[in-house]
Amino acid sequence: MRSLISLTIANVRSFVRDRAALFWTILFPVIFIVLFGVIFSGGGSGYNLGIADQDNTPTSQGLVAAFTADGPLKPTAGTADDLLASMKLGKVDAVLVIPKGFEAAFGAGAGSTAPPLQLPLYVDPSNASSAAAITQVASAIEAGFEQHLDHVRPVAAIQTTDVQGGQLSASAFFVPSILAMALMQLGIFSAIPLVEQREKKILKRLSATPLPRWALVGSNIVLRLIIAAAQTIIILAVGSQLFQVRVTGNPLVIAGFIVVGAMAFTALGYVIASFAPTEESANFIVSAVQFPMMFLSGIFFPLQGLPDWLHTVASFLPLTYLGDALRQTMVGGVPFATLQFDALVLGGWLIVCLLISARYFRWT
Amino acid sequence: MPTPATSPAVTGTGATGDVIVVRDLRKHFGPVLAVNGVDFVVHTGEIFGLLGPNGAGKTTTIEMLEGLQRADGGELRVLGLDPGRQASQLKARIGVQLQTASLYPQLTVAEILALFGSFYPRALPVKQLLDALDLDEKKDARSKTLSGGQQQRLSVALAMVNDPELVFLDEPTTGLDPAARRALWDLIAGMRQQGKTVLMTTHYMEEAEILCDRLAIMDHGKLLDMGTVTELVGRRFKERAVRFDTIDRLTDAKLSGLAAVSRVAREGPETVLYTPDVPATIGALLSATEALSVEPSNLMVRRATLEDVFLDLTGRALRD
Repeated sequence: MRSLISLTIANVRSFVRDRAALFWTILFPVIFIVLFGVIFSGGGSGYNLGIADQDNTPTSQGLVAAFTADGPLKPTAGTADDLLASMKLGKVDAVLVIPKGFEAAFGAGAGSTAPPLQLPLYVDPSNASSAAAITQVASAIEAGFEQHLDHVRPVAAIQTTDVQGGQLSASAFFVPSILAMALMQLGIFSAIPLVEQREKKILKRLSATPLPRWALVGSNIVLRLIIAAAQTIIILAVGSQLFQVRVTGNPLVIAGFIVVGAMAFTALGYVIASFAPTEESANFIVSAVQFPMMFLSGIFFPLQGLPDWLHTVASFLPLTYLGDALRQTMVGGVPFATLQFDALVLGGWLIVCLLISARYFRWT
Repeated sequence: MPTPATSPAVTGTGATGDVIVVRDLRKHFGPVLAVNGVDFVVHTGEIFGLLGPNGAGKTTTIEMLEGLQRADGGELRVLGLDPGRQASQLKARIGVQLQTASLYPQLTVAEILALFGSFYPRALPVKQLLDALDLDEKKDARSKTLSGGQQQRLSVALAMVNDPELVFLDEPTTGLDPAARRALWDLIAGMRQQGKTVLMTTHYMEEAEILCDRLAIMDHGKLLDMGTVTELVGRRFKERAVRFDTIDRLTDAKLSGLAAVSRVAREGPETVLYTPDVPATIGALLSATEALSVEPSNLMVRRATLEDVFLDLTGRALRD
């Protein structure tokens, strides 16, 4: 136990003092987040609002024009179904529906006792601050539109509706993705120092001491988990500060996926280290594994439109499942019960990789 | 075979005081026999040297004794333990310095010593090791910034962290400048004064002659001869060597006919005459050269060295 602790401290010190390792594990994902954030949120100012005008009358068109006129909301027209689908892809941040009977409600006159007509506004509950902002701005514009028509009594009112599960804004989509990517890199990059320590005979020197091998492997895993925790905190801090991404899921489930994911990819790193004879070849294999995985696992863009065989490849990649699980649980608030398959696949990768490296990993 | 000690008071060195007993040791890598039937014994408190060129099988032999490689055949006893089956017990009691092993580049000297100390049930204080190896002023330097000599001292210091009874040093002075080499020799000699047993490999003749109490000469996986330097030389060379720059007209036939010459050898540009009677041979040589009206240049006489022993055993010179 004492040797496990001292070896872990030695590993943390070595890691923190290695600038390149720090850059790739901490700074690189942050740069990615900022880059993606700027690309996806169109400069970061304003929100995309989908408007489905089901009334399609001069009055309803007048309201649409009021939204178009100015302000932080950028309207897109379409049917309610299409717009809700684009919201799932993060193309619009909220959807407003103007139901049939909107113009008629205005025609009812001052004497009517009917309750105000409800205009459903679909917002993303996991992105609480932007949901609140969109609701406020939309309500203000609608109220202004009614005042413009000189109506004393409110005719219509914005009614926000949270649509449970899957309403991921662009930033809510890519922050968990980048966390998944960072955990993947953290894990498989562990192959490189391992091969380096084998080539430089550090592993051999360690095995000439009474240090048990489980302590050596254990200290590497503990190191990776410590870095994984640091990455998670930094990525979530940047995500929430710059892009108002709020974590809605159960923290225990999220932590569980982070731990299993980091361990599965670290085990994959050991597999790579088992077959890479030199540090250079380890570098090459790590790149050859990580880049296709990054693009085929659907963490950065949906896989629609890709040929079937690539879908088949994607369905075997562990990153597909870690990305899915983190996305669903972190911003979708999906309970663990629906993520069992993700957990199963990641656990399977962990066990298979452990078995392969137990069989083939060489210390000298 | 000495019977392994049974009393717990005895630290397992065996009744005869032999720290290492090797019988018919074998190891092959695929079809290559790296170690081919090696026998030797190392006594308590001596510095024992394995001498041989690169690729002779020295490192493989020493790594089997350290429990780092499995023997394919033969018997091995180190501190009364079997390195194959009792490796973890053995590793706590030996000190190991590996050939060309580097260390954690980002850690400081003191951190590396403390780290390795934590692997053992008992370890010397870091300060004591720093003083012993003259590394005190480098204690806060990262190991990657150390010079070759300092790195080598650090790796020897690591072989001493657990205050071992037996120290293995594999080519400890390779790549060092003469001053650093001498400093390390003093240190190794100091280990013997502390009562430790040292098994070292080297391919430097001078190092072996100065440090080792006994030597085994190894080549192609076999031990060719074993003993003290005096024994190794005396067993083979009753005579001394008379050397001079080769004179073409003095043929081997002519030279071997000179008084007292037992053997003629050519080494590079030099001719070597082995003789039990130096004055008679030199007198005869000078008469022969006078008859040819030449003078032998760089004429010198010396006792045979380990180099000559090695040349005699293997037919080639040790690469330095």
